[in-house]
This record gives sequence, C-alpha cells and structure tokens, in this order.
Amino acid sequence: MKGGAIKLFIVVVGINIFFAYIGLYFLPQSQSLPPKTIKVEKGITQDELVTLGETIIFSKGQCMVCHPMKQETGMRAPAIATIGAEIVKSAKERNMTPEAYVFEALVNPGEYVQKGFENMMPPVHKPPTSLTEGELIAVAAFLQSKGANVTVSYPESIPVLQEQIKIEAKKGGK
Amino acid sequence: MADVSVKKGLTKGLIKLTVLLGIGFIFLFVLGRLLPAPSEDGYRVFPVIGSRVWVWIIAQLHLNFAAFVLGVPIFAVSMEYLSWRRSDGRLDRIAYDFTKLFTLAYTITASIGTILLISLPVLYPKFMDHMMRILGPTWWLYIVVMYVEVMVCYYYYYSWHKMKNNKGAHVAIGGLLNIMGVIMLLITSSWVGYMTTPGGVSETGELISRWHAIKTHMWIPLSIHRLVANVVFGAGIAASYAAYRFIVSETDEDRAYYDWMGYTSAMISIGFSLILPGVGYLLGVEIYSFNEQMGIQLMGGFFAWLWVMQAILIGAILMFVNYYLWISLNKMPGGERYFKYVKYLFIVMLLGYAVWLTPHSIALSLDEARKMGTYHPVLGNLGVMAAKNTAVVITYLVTFLSFAIFKMSNKEPVVSWAKLGNALRIIIVAGSTVAVLAIGVYSYMVSSSVRVKVLSPIQFGVFFLSIIALFILDAKMFKNAKIIGAPRWGKMPERSQYALIGITVTFTWLMGMMGYMRSGGRQYWHVYGIIKDTSPDAFLPTHGFAAVVTSILTVIFFALMGLLFYGIMKLEKKGGQGGAKA
Repeated sequence: MKGGAIKLFIVVVGINIFFAYIGLYFLPQSQSLPPKTIKVEKGITQDELVTLGETIIFSKGQCMVCHPMKQETGMRAPAIATIGAEIVKSAKERNMTPEAYVFEALVNPGEYVQKGFENMMPPVHKPPTSLTEGELIAVAAFLQSKGANVTVSYPESIPVLQEQIKIEAKKGGK
Repeated sequence: MADVSVKKGLTKGLIKLTVLLGIGFIFLFVLGRLLPAPSEDGYRVFPVIGSRVWVWIIAQLHLNFAAFVLGVPIFAVSMEYLSWRRSDGRLDRIAYDFTKLFTLAYTITASIGTILLISLPVLYPKFMDHMMRILGPTWWLYIVVMYVEVMVCYYYYYSWHKMKNNKGAHVAIGGLLNIMGVIMLLITSSWVGYMTTPGGVSETGELISRWHAIKTHMWIPLSIHRLVANVVFGAGIAASYAAYRFIVSETDEDRAYYDWMGYTSAMISIGFSLILPGVGYLLGVEIYSFNEQMGIQLMGGFFAWLWVMQAILIGAILMFVNYYLWISLNKMPGGERYFKYVKYLFIVMLLGYAVWLTPHSIALSLDEARKMGTYHPVLGNLGVMAAKNTAVVITYLVTFLSFAIFKMSNKEPVVSWAKLGNALRIIIVAGSTVAVLAIGVYSYMVSSSVRVKVLSPIQFGVFFLSIIALFILDAKMFKNAKIIGAPRWGKMPERSQYALIGITVTFTWLMGMMGYMRSGGRQYWHVYGIIKDTSPDAFLPTHGFAAVVTSILTVIFFALMGLLFYGIMKLEKKGGQGGAKA
C-alpha cells in the first residue's frame, strides 16, 4: 500500500481545512474587545447619564449576559424593561431610598435577592467588571429610568454610593 | 532507539533532559540581555505572528504531546498487567508498542516544553514574574518530578525485555510512572487553575496563602478532566498509529495485528470519553461557583457559537465511531444479520446531531441581543439544555448500541433464558430512551437550577445505568456462547482506517478549541480579576481566526506525530523490533 502515508496526510489536512472553513464561514465573525473606561464629567445631566448607563450595561458592565431586556421564560436575572418600577417597590418594602437600593443592588447584590432568582451577581465595582463611581451612577440612572423617576445624579450621589460600598467592604463580600 | 541496555538508556534520558533544560536557561539568559527591554507594561512582541499566536501554538502543541505521554502509559501499563495475568503475548506486544510510542514522544514533548520555557518569560516577563512570585515553588517541584518521571519512563521502557520474567515488578514500575504523571498533571493544572479562578491572593495580587493559590476552584476538576481526556487522546493517537501501520502494512499478519490494535485503542478512547461530559460538568459547576459571570460568558456569551462547533466536532467523532463499528460488522462472521439495523441507528444519530447543533443564543454580541432578544423565538426551544442533553444522551446510547451489536455479532447465546434476555435488552434500551426523553421534556418546566443540578445528572445517570445493565446482561447471556466464527482481523477496507484517523484528528481539534475557550474565558485578564492583559492582543479574536489557528497547530501536531511513527518504523527495520535490550 504505497502512498498510504501521503493519503493519510491529505486526510488529516483535509479534515483541518474543513473545520477551519466551518469556523470562517459558518460561525459569526466578531471580536470581543476589552472595555474602555468611560469618563463621567461633573455637571452631566440625568438624561445624559441614562444614555451613558445604557451604553455601559451593553458593554463594560456585561449586564445583558444575565439580564434580558424583556421578560423571558427561564431568565436568569430580572428583566431590564421594568426594573425601575421594581426598584421603587423593593426599596419601599425594605425601607430604603430608591437611590440607596439601586446602589446596593450594584455593589452589594447578595444583600437582597429578588424572589425567584438566585444570588449569582458579582459586585460590579470590583474586578473583573470594575465599574468606576461615575459609571455606577450612570448605570443606576439607566435602571431607574425603566419605569420610575431618575433620582441619582453625578457627582451628588457619590456619598450614597460610597456608603453602600463601605457596607459591602465590611461584610467582606467576594 | 536500537537495542540499548537499561543503564545506557537511563543515561541517554538524563543527558537529553539536562541538555534541553540547559538550552532553555541559556537562551533565557542570553535573550534577556540581547533583546530590547520589554514595554512599560511588561511585554515583548514576537515577530510577524505576534506573541499571543506564537505562545498559543507552542503551548497547545506542548499540551497535546504532554496529554499523549501522560495518557498512553495508563493503558500501556493496564495492557501489560492484563498480558501478565492472562499470559497473552498479543497484549504484551501492544503494551510494548504503546511504551515505544510514548518514550519516543517524551523527547518531542520536552523540546516543545523548552521552547515554551523560553517564550513565556521573554515575551510576558511581568506576568511570569507574578506567576513565579505566587507559584514559584511548584515550578521547581515540577522540574524535580519531571526528572523522576523521565527516569522511570526510560527504566520502564529499556527494562522491558530484561524484566520479562519479573512482570509483577515491571508493572509496578509502570504504576510508579503513572503516579509521577498524575503529579505532573496536578502541578500544571494548578497554574491554569490559578490563572482562571485565582485564590490565595489579595485584590492587588499579593500572596496571602500559597496553598490557596494552588487549591483553586478549578484545580481538581480540571485535573480530573485532563486525566480522563489524556487517556481518550492517548488511546486515539495509538489508534491512529495502528491505522497508519495498517495502511502501510505489507503482510496479512501485520494488518491483522494493527487492525486489532486500532480497534482496541479506539474503543478504549471512546469508552473513556463517556466519562468526559460528567467531569466536564463538575468543572463547569466549579467555574460557576467561582464566578457566575465567567460561567455564563463561557457557556452562552461570546463563546455560544463555539459550543455549536463543539457539538459539530463531538457529533463528527461519534459518527466516525459508529461508521467504523458498522463497517467492522463485515469482518464478523454473522455480522450481516445486523446490517438491517444500521439505517435506523443512522437516522437517530442524525436527528440527535441536528438538535445538538442548534444554538441556544444566536445573538453574537450584546448589541444584537438588545435588538433581537437573547433567544431565537423558534430554534431557541431546541437550543436549550433540556433538548441538547437529551440529544447528547440518545446519540451516546446509539453509539453504545453499535458497539454492543458489533461485540455480539459473531455469537449466539446458548443459555436457556436467551429469549427472556433479548426481551430484557429491548426493555432496557426502550425504557432508558423513554426515560431520557421524558426527563428532557420535564426539564422545560423547571427552574434552571433544578435542570442543571438535578435533572441533567439524572439523565446521564439513566444512560450509565442502562449501559451497565446491558453490559452485565450481555456478559451473562453470551457466556460460553456459540461462536459463529472468529473475527477476521485485518479484513477491513482501508476507508475504515481513515475513520480511526478522523476520530483522533477531530478530537485533537476539539482539544485545541476547548483549550482556547478555557483560556479565552479569562477575557482581557492574564489572571482573572488580578493581572490585566494590557498587551495589543488583549481581545478575543474572531471564531474564524481561532479556527484557523487551531487547524494549523493540529496539522503541525500530526506532522510531528507522522515523523514519530516514521522514526519508529525506521528503527524497527534497522534493529529488528528495536528498543530495549533483552
């Protein structure tokens, strides 16, 4: 069976070309770039914060990995579309301001978990997400805008945010 | 490797390893002085292809060879043990052939390891400084264990004929070789485990507890996963070797032997691969428990489509296996009685494959998810775990059936309860299929937590119970069975051997891709959440690019393997069987 080795080599190369072809032409082609830190300027309006927050939840925040926009069967985390109203409701139940509650949900998420969901969210001010104070306030503004009034602003909300970060640090969260 | 005494063999091994390590350290020293200083954030750039692609190819090639030299000894020793207990010369020959393969492969493994040893500190000095600060002592332990392992390996190989009358002691040396291999695996897995699921350090990367930096979430499940995968891979390579030898054989005797070797190796490979989904599940659980976000990103984020690719690859492997087994019926006297079932098995395989291939989330980016929703309105129902697990279990069940049919195809049971036995077999197969389907349907109605933690393990449990039950039943039913005729080893068409090669090439490609995914799960981090990747390569490339790199390194790997196979044949021609001196 002379030439067997050559035939085998052709088979090996052929299979590899086939798999590379599937990878190149049957799978979607896109790169995943590292996120850029967004600079939030003093005096930014609430509308601008909301727009910025939306950009962050779809990019650096990676919120959409778990949170769907609309209600879906089997969703892992609450839907974004009505989350502002949920924030107001839950804050009232827990005797907190919506502002404090939304920051707690971002930096100390294990403290209170919505019924029907699991405690799986990491504190997003810490690595690997590492949102800055400005970015966190922008995300909070966007979340509030989904069914409620936006009460957070930059830099006025920083003390409330820092208070929640302190509570999380004392708890020694992951 | 023509006839060499044990002492000479050991000296050869010692010199080879020391020379390679010496070359590594000299190059590190010289390059460190000759090359320009690294950039401010700690990188040097490899010319033309860039540092990432270079390290990617070298690391994966090293991993492939390491998997081979760690995996093959496990079943080489098992075969030797069986040959010793059963006084079976054919098993002894296959064990020796395997040993010859991995002993020669050690040199290539160590050579590629040396290139990696030079590349990493030169191209990524800051990152490697951190790794040495945190896990440095494990690296020195690695070198010590490597020396011991190579010495034991060479002793095991070169003493083969000398210790032919002391098989018990020789098998024990083989056992020691495997213990060394497992220690090596544990050490290297601790490095990868630390990079992906770090522990034992502060948020700024200061060492708090070295033991916790070793004992990370990923460490043990990754080690188990690699151990099993190494056996699957090692056996697959041995099957490829047998296929290669079968194709180039010039005598019927050789063809018969290599046909048997190919079959035995392939079945060991596939048998062990049945465990992989289970240990992969354990690995997944640990990743989720370390960081849900990482787990979700790996399973359904940027990598969602690579799971579809994984399904294509595993499905292809199972198709190759089934095809090989169906062709193999030709060499079994009486095998023709089962030809009629093949088409039904094929249809079920195709249906299972189609469901398995259906992607869950077809949105590629978060932007797309915003526009179209996370899941496809129709296909999303088939793309979920409930359907996929069911499809996977059913295709595995079909593969086991193909194997069971092949095994019994030249036999006829003589036990008085043969009819009842056959009825029981039908009940087990039908019952387990219905149970797996029912659990699959029920999975749609429960929370993801119940689905993942309870129902998926039950589905796989049903599968394993059914194959164990079938295995035991067949063993009893076909004990002292009437043999229609002995298998006609060697009477196989050449295309069957390409199926064997196809299994191994696909598995190697799969290993490359899964390695990329595991590494890519860290995204833009060298050590997740601790050391950021700020190099120009700190992004995940397109799936097409990843596929091309994986194909290139797989071809390089098989070219090197081809050289190894060719080298063994050359040596055999030169010095009879070659190798150890009697």
